[in-house]
Amino acid sequence: MSDLDRAIEQLRACRLIPESQVRELCYKARELLIEEGNVVSVDAPVTICGDIHGQFHDLMELFRVGGDVPDTNYLFMGDFVDRGFYSLESFLLLLCLKVRYPDRITLIRGNHESRQITTVYGFYDECIRKYGSANVWRYCCEVFDYLALGAIVLGASSELEPTSNTALSSMPIDDSELETEVLNSRGEVTMSTYRARQRSSSDASTDSRNISPPRDISAAPGQAAAPSRSGAPGTGASGDGNGSAATSRTGAVLCVHGGLSPLIDSVDKIRLIDRKQEVPHEGAMCDLLWSDPDEIEGWGLSPRGAGFLFGGDIVKQFNHLNGLSLVARAHQLVMEGYKEMFDGGIVTVWSAPNYCYRCGNVAAILELGEDASGGGTVARSNGEYGRSNGIVADNRVVSPGRRYRVFEAAAQDTRGMPAKKPVADYFL
Amino acid sequence: MANGPVIRVLSTLDSSVLHTFIEPSKKIHESQDVSTFLTSKAYIDIMTWVLQLNRSMFPLKVADGTTQTWTLNSDAIQYSAQVRQLQRLLSKLEDIIQEVPPDTGPRRFGNISFRRWTEVVESRASDLLKECLPANLLNMCSSDEGATAETELKSYFLGSWGSGQRLDYGTGHELSFLAFLGGIWRLNGFPKSGPGVEERAIVVGVIHPYLELVRLLIKTYNLEPAGSHGVWGLDDHSFAPYIFGSAQLSPAINDNDLTPEEGSLLNAPDPGGVANAKIVERERQTNLYFSAVGFIYDVKRGPFWEHSPMLFDISGIRAGWGKINKGMIKMYNAEVLSKFPVVQHFPFGSLFSWDRDPNAPLPTSTVHTTSGPQARPVAPDSGHPSVAAARPMPGAGTQALPPMGSTAAPWAGVRREGVPSSTPSGTTRVPSALPDTSRMPPGPMAPTRAPWSAQPPPSPSQDGNADVHTKAPWAK
Repeated sequence: MSDLDRAIEQLRACRLIPESQVRELCYKARELLIEEGNVVSVDAPVTICGDIHGQFHDLMELFRVGGDVPDTNYLFMGDFVDRGFYSLESFLLLLCLKVRYPDRITLIRGNHESRQITTVYGFYDECIRKYGSANVWRYCCEVFDYLALGAIVLGASSELEPTSNTALSSMPIDDSELETEVLNSRGEVTMSTYRARQRSSSDASTDSRNISPPRDISAAPGQAAAPSRSGAPGTGASGDGNGSAATSRTGAVLCVHGGLSPLIDSVDKIRLIDRKQEVPHEGAMCDLLWSDPDEIEGWGLSPRGAGFLFGGDIVKQFNHLNGLSLVARAHQLVMEGYKEMFDGGIVTVWSAPNYCYRCGNVAAILELGEDASGGGTVARSNGEYGRSNGIVADNRVVSPGRRYRVFEAAAQDTRGMPAKKPVADYFL
Repeated sequence: MANGPVIRVLSTLDSSVLHTFIEPSKKIHESQDVSTFLTSKAYIDIMTWVLQLNRSMFPLKVADGTTQTWTLNSDAIQYSAQVRQLQRLLSKLEDIIQEVPPDTGPRRFGNISFRRWTEVVESRASDLLKECLPANLLNMCSSDEGATAETELKSYFLGSWGSGQRLDYGTGHELSFLAFLGGIWRLNGFPKSGPGVEERAIVVGVIHPYLELVRLLIKTYNLEPAGSHGVWGLDDHSFAPYIFGSAQLSPAINDNDLTPEEGSLLNAPDPGGVANAKIVERERQTNLYFSAVGFIYDVKRGPFWEHSPMLFDISGIRAGWGKINKGMIKMYNAEVLSKFPVVQHFPFGSLFSWDRDPNAPLPTSTVHTTSGPQARPVAPDSGHPSVAAARPMPGAGTQALPPMGSTAAPWAGVRREGVPSSTPSGTTRVPSALPDTSRMPPGPMAPTRAPWSAQPPPSPSQDGNADVHTKAPWAK
């Protein structure tokens, strides 16, 4: 068993690893993350997760419900730390898994993965308390600077394979396909929605479902940017019939912690950011990590004091211009664990149940299935893949089938009471 | 009595001297301003007021050798007419909850109806104050058109109820209520009695019901903690009950005794009781500390040591409730009064003045910033001011800040190297056509806005951006 596997085992048991090992881990993680682009490409199937906030036992529940790494391919949309009691255990475990199975888990940056925020919302205090110095906090913050800013999910299926053990599901009507499904933590279907199968004879993208040679990811950017009617960043579709690439009619899914930015009108612009720094107080990088969708038109000031509010028109336009079918983001507590807005153009996924021990919310993860036709089977790339500049997307882009697994906070009975730690200086 | 220590109390206005009232306004605009605040008259007055109230809650040695305690249900505490008026005010505010039931529509966390509650309170504030305070007190003014006593009191009154805009409540709002009561004291609104007599009526008769009302608001409208350290803070919302509650369980004193710094009242519950739900349930009926812990049990699910590790560790202190009380005072000074995000919204007028306290030490040099929250090294103490002055307030400890060169803690009073520039980078990022719908209630506290933005934050849209969300700590 390697040191890394031992560390994973130890962290899974909610026991911290020595400072020297944290240092080594963070060094390895940085070497790995520096190779990733600002926008990581991820193939479906993938399970998308929202905020964790140091709720380690609930993270274990998430793995129980969603499957373990590396069996399940995971994408975590940031906010691993702060607020909870186990930010260190949670983040270090995810980081170990990233180093051990780099192609099976993707971590992107949340607004809490920042020096300034962690000194206010608890992670700094936790590091001091658990390690006795700020060293580990510093190592972790250096890793934060290298985390990708977003991810593009490719090759997701528009249709879900119905869950078999479903008591509730009614037989789908003819010519309809399963679009969304909500499952509880016991795997029982609690809700399903169907949509009409779109089978227009002129639908070239439907026809192209059977042709899907893996795209050469080393293709020169210029080639990928070839004019096209249906292509889009991330989807890899050129749709020009030359056979070089094809994909399902399902558009790509952009995953980002917060949301959109008035300074970012294309996914490519995200790729141009120099991300290896502390999260700035303003600008595109800040907005991606801080913004929230809201029932407004256009852009609005955020009550958070960073990022913006953006309305449905902004999402629709952004998705259209970029050939996206969906923006998946986290960043806001939703009592039901997930919340779709703007005709399904954006979804909030929240993965911290009973947030802060008191919110009484359930958590969710979002599973996107693999297109059965085999479209979009591209390997993970380092972000230079799928460049396209201002390509107008085919407006027939269909959103992917979405399976939400909803779960509650982990039982607490197994957690024993620890010894009291020395108190703060005020009381000495 | 004559040989006892001089108990410092908040000074009251001399009615024979013309007093100039000032419409309170914010003065703490940047983190550096906190060090100026710590040398202001307002700071010394707030600390004096807190210590005066704190001192009054220590059990009293009675001549017959017994001890008089000041439990929440004590018959020995006499409520003055003014205290009863304030109780009536609080119950009127509670009644407004019935008028504005929580919204049942879709929501994230905080309930949008709380915004309406704050609006109702604001619209009735003048009437409520007139019903509660004598006209000759409220109408005190320096000229026909200038600010009145009511102007100043109303500012602190309205800041006491959490933010209707952000749907949160924190220690800054609590501070505003303490200032509201301190303002009434300064205006001679409370009757003169023996040492501590009126003060303990204020703590048990007004501050405790205030805290109960705030808890009701928090539960009714799901108010979120304003800017918290997550589990690593003392409490999501409150601080005062931990100060006054630990005083209730500290050793008994005479009026002449120094305030004890360790030991406990005979038969006081063990501090470790906070981790035991049954003990908490029993003690919360009589004690402010346990009533605050009891509220945590009401709203949180999970092991106590996990969601409240700070209180859990404090519960292991062996040196008694006096030790805990002293620590709480130090911590309040450092974690509430010295924290930019908390005090930045505190408005300064004539009752709590931004003017420099002539006895204050020179402002802490911004060069000495290696660690520790920015805390004024002098605490006015009931008892021996000179001794207190020589005792430095706590500095670093577990609150040590990241080292130089890294980003400064936003709540620190001092700007450090490496703070991301707050100067706008020149890019036009805020769409200029945005409507400024913002009307920030004068609430103090609250996680803050971006320092670069000139406008106050906007009010969230209709459905409320009301979840338990993170605010940018660098914002003002």
